[in-house]
Amino acid sequence: MKAIRGALPFILVAALAACGSQTPAAQTGGTALTWAVETEPITFNPHQWGQNKARLLVFNQFDALVARGEDGSFVPWLARSWKVSDDGRTYTLELRDDVTFQDGTKFDAAAVKANFDKLREPGYNPTVAAIQLHAFDKAEVVSPTTLKITLKEPDGLFLDFLSSPLAGQVSPKSLKEAEDLKAGGPDVVGTGPFVLDRYVRGQEVHYTRNPRYNWPPQGSAHQGPAYLSEVTYRFLPQAAVRIGALTSGQVQVVEGVPATDIQTVKSDPSLSFQSALNSGTAFSYYFNTSHPPFDDRRVRQAFREAVDLDTVLASVYQGTAKRAWSVVADTSPFYDPSLEKTYGGDAAKANALLDAAGWTQRDAEGYRTKDGKRLTVRSVAAAPYVRDRRDILAQAIQARLKQTAGIDFQVRIVDQGTAQKAYEDDAFEVFENSRGDSDAGAALNLILPKGGAINRTHFADAALDTWLAGATASSDTAERKALYAKVQHKVVADEAIVFPIYVPSDQIAASRNVQGLGFDPVSGTPRGVYDVRIAA
Amino acid sequence: MTAALPARRPPAGRGLAGLRVPAWLGTPVRRLVTAVAVLWAAATTAYAALLLAPGDTVDILVGDGADTPEIRAQIVAEWGLDRPEAVRYLSYLGRLLHGDLGRSYQLQRDVGEILAGQVGPTVRLTLAAAAVGVVLAVAVAVATAGRSVWPRRIVSAAELVAVSVPQFVIGIVLLFVFSFSLGWFPVSGAADPQALVLPALALGLPVAGVLGQVLREGLERALEQPFAVTARSRGLSERAVVARHALRHALLPAVTLAGWFTGVLLGGAVITEALFGRPGLGRVTMQAVTGKDMPVVMAVVILSAAVYVTISALLDLAYRLIDPRLRSA
Repeated sequence: MKAIRGALPFILVAALAACGSQTPAAQTGGTALTWAVETEPITFNPHQWGQNKARLLVFNQFDALVARGEDGSFVPWLARSWKVSDDGRTYTLELRDDVTFQDGTKFDAAAVKANFDKLREPGYNPTVAAIQLHAFDKAEVVSPTTLKITLKEPDGLFLDFLSSPLAGQVSPKSLKEAEDLKAGGPDVVGTGPFVLDRYVRGQEVHYTRNPRYNWPPQGSAHQGPAYLSEVTYRFLPQAAVRIGALTSGQVQVVEGVPATDIQTVKSDPSLSFQSALNSGTAFSYYFNTSHPPFDDRRVRQAFREAVDLDTVLASVYQGTAKRAWSVVADTSPFYDPSLEKTYGGDAAKANALLDAAGWTQRDAEGYRTKDGKRLTVRSVAAAPYVRDRRDILAQAIQARLKQTAGIDFQVRIVDQGTAQKAYEDDAFEVFENSRGDSDAGAALNLILPKGGAINRTHFADAALDTWLAGATASSDTAERKALYAKVQHKVVADEAIVFPIYVPSDQIAASRNVQGLGFDPVSGTPRGVYDVRIAA
Repeated sequence: MTAALPARRPPAGRGLAGLRVPAWLGTPVRRLVTAVAVLWAAATTAYAALLLAPGDTVDILVGDGADTPEIRAQIVAEWGLDRPEAVRYLSYLGRLLHGDLGRSYQLQRDVGEILAGQVGPTVRLTLAAAAVGVVLAVAVAVATAGRSVWPRRIVSAAELVAVSVPQFVIGIVLLFVFSFSLGWFPVSGAADPQALVLPALALGLPVAGVLGQVLREGLERALEQPFAVTARSRGLSERAVVARHALRHALLPAVTLAGWFTGVLLGGAVITEALFGRPGLGRVTMQAVTGKDMPVVMAVVILSAAVYVTISALLDLAYRLIDPRLRSA
């Protein structure tokens, strides 16, 4: 009997070992790739797309009308060429005539028109209809390969829209017949290099090569069908699990490498690592100017001066985060580098500013007070948007603010509804946000003008609104750059309504034999896998 | 649960002879009525809680995008949010009776359809975890009850660790050892039975910890009872005494805990599924709660309530099988 008892642990271990004799995914074939991603998309329909983290999936299955080259310029894709009338209101697209959808439907001007009409159908995607297509008037089929689009007013962001995932072309047949059109999936098909053939919610999405594909955007590294015969994206939200799956060979590529793991990945000779800064706006703290204490510019400036941001970023991100100096991300053509090193990190100045603003008393805990009220500022953030250790970052900033200037910075991470309510009740002083729009102007239009959808600074300035409107209407990059420079100077230098913190980035780590991985030149998010191949 | 059970039986059907309901019919009917009442209460509580939670539904649906009166009007019309609360509540209950769980705000699909695809993986995971918990607990308790001090100390310590370490940490450790280092098991892939082993262990070990302690204590108490002495004096081996006599006594408190396990397993599934990249109700629930996707949250609450009701019915049956005193009552 003793022998049986003693044997029990061995039996258990043996049983465990017997169940487990898996072959790593890497061995299942040279041209199949498994990629672990952080975020499971809410929808696979490009018209409903809204998550930057899901951008890498869209262009596997769908093609847009226009693409962006490495230098950010617009290059032909499904549209061979386009002409813009002198008044900026008419766009004439010449389409490729050799393209078919994955369901066999021919791609032509009528199909593009059907996509536009669908996007403007009430209830389909109200946001796109109201924002990206606000100027859209009508689309007319001139010939099977020619589409004429008329706008109500000039729109400098229209080509950007035509190159975005939202303009991914969906088969008219799917638009009519798909059972769950808004959710997307295998029955919502495009013209892209891969066919989505299996989606297991919560686990993975699987694509196989589209053998007929021969219409990549201009400037692609190769022509014809994709190199990979199939690709599986596994949804692994935990960073440690993604990295472990990579180092143990269960997946060949991961995106989203946390700062704490970057050194490990870099020092592993069998792995490659690359990262890119995202487009859009920098991760920033926006100050609510509608009530004290941030209705006083000196307090806003003091907040920025009290934080030695370089030290904070170095300790939280171990030197992997790029400090931001403007609300516009560094990668944007509109970024104004003259703002660099013009503010921040001067504790003496912070204290002088607060003294001047009347916050001269200190309470028992060392916080500054004025008329018996503590200098408290509150940040309310919705949990789904808190990523990149932004909670830890906030704690580090909190500690600095208390230590150097006696500012009481309170940070609350809550559910979406609670955050929304705090914004509505004006019960916050700091709003944290970053946006990944490919054109920074689109993001600024939401954040800065009076009445903007997420203008949570409540700052209003007539000149600022004029500059923003002018830059939106123009498609002349030099003119837009000059206007956005004024905008940045106003909100960052003159008024100090924003505290730019860091430029968000994306990372890819992969086995060395996986080649052709890279980032979308405009958004800075990982590219699709059209050009990716596995070396022998 | 144990105490309430015998008390529930007598009252009904004792009054007028003509109205007497046969005992074999009365219990199931009463049980069904109670079950429906519990489900209704769960649905209503969930509805009220979400109604009272901060944040307006339209705001949630608008999100961080454009916010214009036209967009709001479209959303209100699409989801029927302009009707009074009472009407919406009643129409919700009405649809529920027809088995219609509504449509997800976030995922734009029928909730029933979403959940149907997720129930299977979660059931497999929780059943496997329950099996791990029960088998380990019984094996370890039987092997160590009333035995020498050292094995018991070691096992007790292991149980304490299993109970007190968060499931997330257990999962990570299992992954690092058995998946990333030894390469015995894959991280994810629900179709593959091998992929079920580590999540089932991560979810089942805390259950095994608690259950093991309860069982061993019960066994030890039973082994000191006069009937154990009698059995031994009849010449039965110690193992036979444990297996045939003591275990049955020790099982009663353990079965009582089964209701609690259901909660632990369903709650733990949320963490385990996300960690191992498994499909399942837990992941859908988490996504729905953070996105305030009311229809999905409500459906999960009702489903969980249904599971609890079923489990507690099964437990009552189990008591009867284990404890003959209840059968004759």
